[in-house]
Amino acid sequence: MVNIRIIPMQFSRVGILERMLDRISQILRSDVRIELHPMDLTDCFDPVRSQYNANTIINKLSSYDLGSNKIIGVTDLDLFIPVLSYVFGQAYLGGTTALISGHRLENSRYGLPEDQVNYEQRLLKCLLHELGHTFGLKHCLNPSCIMLSTTYVEEMDHKSDYFCPNCLTELKRMV
Amino acid sequence: MDNKLSILIVDDELSVRDSLTNWFMEDGYDVDTAEDAKVALNKIQAHNFHIILVDIKLPGMDGLELNRRIKAINEETIVIIMTAFASVDSAVQALKDGAYDFVCKPFDPDAVTHIIRNASSHIQLNQENLSLQERIKSLVNVDAIIGQSDEILNVLEQVRVVAETDSTVIICGDSGTGKELVARAIHMNSTRRFFPMVTVHCGAIAENLLESELFGHERGAFTGAQYARKGKFEMADGATLFLDEISTISMKMQIELLRVLETRRFTRVGGNREYKSDFRVICATNRDLKAMVDSGEFREDLFYRLNVFSLKIPPLRERAKDIQPLVEHFIKVYAEQMNKPTKQIGKRALKALQSYAFPGNVRELENLIERAIVIGTGDTIRLKDLPLEQTRPAPSWESIQEMEQHHIQTILDKYAWNISKSAKALGVDRVTLYSKIKKYKLQKHN
Repeated sequence: MVNIRIIPMQFSRVGILERMLDRISQILRSDVRIELHPMDLTDCFDPVRSQYNANTIINKLSSYDLGSNKIIGVTDLDLFIPVLSYVFGQAYLGGTTALISGHRLENSRYGLPEDQVNYEQRLLKCLLHELGHTFGLKHCLNPSCIMLSTTYVEEMDHKSDYFCPNCLTELKRMV
Repeated sequence: MDNKLSILIVDDELSVRDSLTNWFMEDGYDVDTAEDAKVALNKIQAHNFHIILVDIKLPGMDGLELNRRIKAINEETIVIIMTAFASVDSAVQALKDGAYDFVCKPFDPDAVTHIIRNASSHIQLNQENLSLQERIKSLVNVDAIIGQSDEILNVLEQVRVVAETDSTVIICGDSGTGKELVARAIHMNSTRRFFPMVTVHCGAIAENLLESELFGHERGAFTGAQYARKGKFEMADGATLFLDEISTISMKMQIELLRVLETRRFTRVGGNREYKSDFRVICATNRDLKAMVDSGEFREDLFYRLNVFSLKIPPLRERAKDIQPLVEHFIKVYAEQMNKPTKQIGKRALKALQSYAFPGNVRELENLIERAIVIGTGDTIRLKDLPLEQTRPAPSWESIQEMEQHHIQTILDKYAWNISKSAKALGVDRVTLYSKIKKYKLQKHN
């Protein structure tokens, strides 16, 4: 069975992650746990952009030897990669490490009333999507598949938190 | 998502190359990178990339120069210029030099996704366009008209000559000789080939409908005209208008047609607005239009307007040399269509076909071969597979005597060897007829 470790990094709502564990475990048929590892992210901050470099954080995460197959960091920080203005998450295709941010998933950021359920759904979708990449899954064209590429939260709301049959078959093969 | 498109990222910053590589790989593209223009050009020479993202500031040769060199290697390659320092001048210069788009770093994730999707659509459309153009070229090539005889080779030469012009053409020939095929060959070899050939079968449409068919009509122009409709003149704008069986149109329509041919302007039935259309006219007829002009059935002015270039297709009976290649062509076509093994034509069957009159011309030959493939057994088409018994052999007599012998035999057969009736029909007396029968050793057919 694959071991997945979720590392909260400057993420205040760990309780949300605890509620997701069973669901993630069931979908990915993996042993999923939360582990706390304090990490200094000061050097990942870009003062010009006032954002955190997702690639640098992932490299830091990769240096941890947790004896697990996959590591995913979860943060409230606003992430970027050098060529893009922002990212919801980042992962290396077929790699071991991924990172997601809840910074741009909250309704309040878009001037809308808070919706906790919606926020949790978006966070779960981001987490499963990036973990999907670490298992080698590419973006999918199926509009309801979790592996559909989305660049807006509204698009994210439209897709489900399931893998489509094709991606699921591929995922089972990988897992 | 598996895409066949390949992307080359040219940027001196490793972090940019890595980020974009990962981003595009997640979308299923083939991705390669280069840190400067020199490495990029080496890779471009070795591999045909569909999309190349080029940073404007590169060590050595800059992005604008690299864009020009990429375009010199392959004009079709899509180049997207990236820069961290937006400058209108450099953007304009890049676009003037053929760059597809220009983006400022860092990109919005949505912007880069859209640019690449648009570029993919552009590439796909280009590829589809090229493949359709190739298919159109191969649809009716001059080479697709089968024949080895001097007569057909002469027709093909005329097709080549007239196709290059924009002149009106009249194609004359008996029914079934392939007038529409020749018209299509002219169209397909003309500069209008990427537009359709709009065909009007004048003989098959009633006069009142022909007017609406050619000119179109406005809504409410007549009972039942619920919607406005474009006519064939309008539809043939930029294209070729093929008027088949032109000899069948009425005098009134001849006047209307002449006016449109002279001005290329017309109004829809029931409308006031004048439309302009740029079309080339090719028409076909199985009748002698000059004789129709002489007898007053066809307007002289229209005849001279149409008769810029006249092309006559000889009947099949006058080009027996074409029968074998035509037979072989139709065998191949129908064997493939019916999923049957290809056949050969037997010697006796071929000889019979070569001496047959073919009143229905190539169309009749085609039907004979289709039938033979359907009913025939074995790998050869035999004489018994061809229903030629009920037809007369082609007249191939050289002397008057041969002609007389054949004519008397035909008349005798027609009147069931009733000598009195036959003699009367031939305009000779019975004794003369008997002596001719004896002379030519004519016999009653069973």
